[in-house]
Amino acid sequence: MRMTSLRWFVQGAFLLLFFFLFLQTESKGEDTLGYPVRFFLDFDPLVFLSTLLSARFLVPGFLLSLVLVVITVFLGRVFCGWVCPLGTIHNLTGLLNRRKKPVLPPGARRWKYLVLFFLLSSSLFTAQVTGFLDPLCLLIRSLTLFLYPLFQNGMEAVFSAAAEGPVPFLAALAEAFYNLFQRFLFAFREPHFHQAVFAGLFFGLIVGLNLLERRFWCKYLCPLGALLGLLSRKAVLKRSVGEGCTDCGLCQKACQGAAIGDDPRETIPSECLVCFDCDDLCPAGAVRFGFRGGEKGEALHLGRRAVLLSLFGGALAVPLLRISPQSRSGLFPGRLIRPPGALDEKDFLAHCVRCGECMKVCLTNGLQPTFLEAGLEGLWTPVLVPSVGYCEYRCTLCGQVCPTGAIRPLKREDRKRVKIGTAFIDPGRCLPYAFGIPCLVCEEVCPTEVKSIWFETVTVIGREGREEPVKKPHVDPALCVGCGICEHYCPVRGEPAIRVVSTGESRSKENRLLL
Amino acid sequence: MMIAAAAVSCPAAFSPLEVSRARAAPSPAPDLAVVRGPSPERIVASAIDALGGMKRFVSPGDIVVVKPNMGWDRAPEFGANTHPAIVAALVGLAVEAGAKKVKVFDHTVNDPRRCYRQSGVAAAAEAAGAEVSFVDKRKFKSVRLGGQVLGEWPLYEDILEADKVINVPVAKTHGLSTLTLALKNWMGVMGGGRWRIHQRIHESLVDVARKVKPTLTVLDAVRILTANGPQGGRLEDVKVLDTVIAGTDQVAVDSYGATLFGLRGRDLGYVRIGHETGLGNMNLESLDIRKIIL
Repeated sequence: MRMTSLRWFVQGAFLLLFFFLFLQTESKGEDTLGYPVRFFLDFDPLVFLSTLLSARFLVPGFLLSLVLVVITVFLGRVFCGWVCPLGTIHNLTGLLNRRKKPVLPPGARRWKYLVLFFLLSSSLFTAQVTGFLDPLCLLIRSLTLFLYPLFQNGMEAVFSAAAEGPVPFLAALAEAFYNLFQRFLFAFREPHFHQAVFAGLFFGLIVGLNLLERRFWCKYLCPLGALLGLLSRKAVLKRSVGEGCTDCGLCQKACQGAAIGDDPRETIPSECLVCFDCDDLCPAGAVRFGFRGGEKGEALHLGRRAVLLSLFGGALAVPLLRISPQSRSGLFPGRLIRPPGALDEKDFLAHCVRCGECMKVCLTNGLQPTFLEAGLEGLWTPVLVPSVGYCEYRCTLCGQVCPTGAIRPLKREDRKRVKIGTAFIDPGRCLPYAFGIPCLVCEEVCPTEVKSIWFETVTVIGREGREEPVKKPHVDPALCVGCGICEHYCPVRGEPAIRVVSTGESRSKENRLLL
Repeated sequence: MMIAAAAVSCPAAFSPLEVSRARAAPSPAPDLAVVRGPSPERIVASAIDALGGMKRFVSPGDIVVVKPNMGWDRAPEFGANTHPAIVAALVGLAVEAGAKKVKVFDHTVNDPRRCYRQSGVAAAAEAAGAEVSFVDKRKFKSVRLGGQVLGEWPLYEDILEADKVINVPVAKTHGLSTLTLALKNWMGVMGGGRWRIHQRIHESLVDVARKVKPTLTVLDAVRILTANGPQGGRLEDVKVLDTVIAGTDQVAVDSYGATLFGLRGRDLGYVRIGHETGLGNMNLESLDIRKIIL
């Protein structure tokens, strides 16, 4: 078998595994998921390194990411060429691009290193912004927020159009397919996300760059590729070109990583994705990958000034990201309700890589990406939006899938004590208060063992002067955990008569309510 | 919730003198069968037997819905959901009686996946031969109720199309309506903005109950939740009564259910209204109640 065929096979297998784990990032009703759904993120040394710098924290998967480091030191960027699911998507999209010649000068290869230094410099100064550009975080986030909801909502629209259409055969077919999709491909709950369009545009732009130049992202922008590139400079597995080379230049054009210099015999190890395209393509059969020989191309000159500038830029970005008042301590945006187990805000932002795993796994779709609620620094971090979905009292899945400990994994008993906010009743809107109409839905759905919502029975006098007993709800702030189920089910829609705010959240020492 | 705990711990219904044995001579089916015993499967079997056997309710080829309350993400021991063994026993009896299909579902409050799984009901019912499915939002069809309060409301298609409906609620306290028993369980077949019915809950429940018309009602009082209902979560709020109450009159079943908590049927708005509007009979003294201890 040709190496490129083997590579396509391996790429496909990893992409399928990635999609499979993505689909498994969903509850079946158990307390745990049963699959290591953050597997790819655990292998990501950029997540490991940037969290180490920004939060001084060893991510739970760091040993696995060290495995990838070791592999890369020996074999080069095989991850990029053979494993990375985003790389494979680039690879596939690139097939649409018939133009093989690079549009950018070879020097553009250094951009990605500058991106990496920028991000790591920000991390060093405690701002975790790596997740915006880390390929795995970017892909999972884009899938979660945009592609998957688009897929499900789109297919459901198609099925329901066919089911309601005039052709009985089509309707039956649509129903059969709907059930099949429901069982194997759809999320249990139709996903909808704020910010979906922006996350989607970002992804579309990055994938669209393949039309300009194949694997544009991998060659010029990817910070993980850059990190692995730095580790591959002395890789043992090397490309070498034998006697038969006729300088035809085919390999230079086909190279997925812009790793071949002006002389086709020279290879830049940090840029080589070990994809074997040049090996398969060479008409003279002169290209070989092995552990011996190989002519090294010129070392990559990043330029001292450019490196300094990117380091400086990364550091300067930190105060810029924190320029809005949300970053001032003691100021707590009321609707910034973080998931249970989330660290104190400053720590939380230093950990969160915006991979979107928590939002994917959230049972109720209530975890949504922020826009500017948490400041620019907090863009696309998870926030509970009770009108969309509440926080299920006995669920701890978001903490289980978080790759960086931004949301701690909680034990069931600890979960009950974690308070993410407090509910407040709006007497001007609450039916018993405002109109003397019975309701008490909030009390019924309140999940704490001793209900956090209690009621007093009062006598109200109606318009006709008749006295009637009505039960008025009250929140017990010492018991309320802020799950938001009361707000979610409050029959006063639009602006519910009971609303949760972050006040009293147990992750904060300052945002306390009671003595 | 102020429910007399003393009454709960020893239901008045069971004074030993009244107890008739299961082996008693055959007589016309009673209005209610109240059976107490350590095995949930056996008390259900005995209650149905006392009422004349499942064949009286389910004909061969019927499509049957067994509607438990499994609306909450709680394990069985907390008494927030119908006991899985009770549901399974009824499913088994319906299958035995020749039902073509037995469907089990509930429109839950907590996440359906967790409710179905954690309540233990889905697995037990499936093992007994039921088709357990999550509520499909497309299946809520607006129907005319023409009731006191509800003119029209979306109800679940499966319940409307079933040949026979068996209601299997669990007895619990409830803040607004004091207790949730059989009639309250119909909230689990309602779609739309069902929480709005809390404004006139008693009339609304009777309106829906009139439409659904269960063939049989089996109230699970193996464990009853005496405080912090309907969701509970503390074992100290759970009282073990090891009892089921079965009958064809849902108002009568609820009226009897009230006595488990030291109340009378007339103390519950929906029971009173159900009685007054002819849905059923809440006067226990006029009913033939067969009590069995296993």
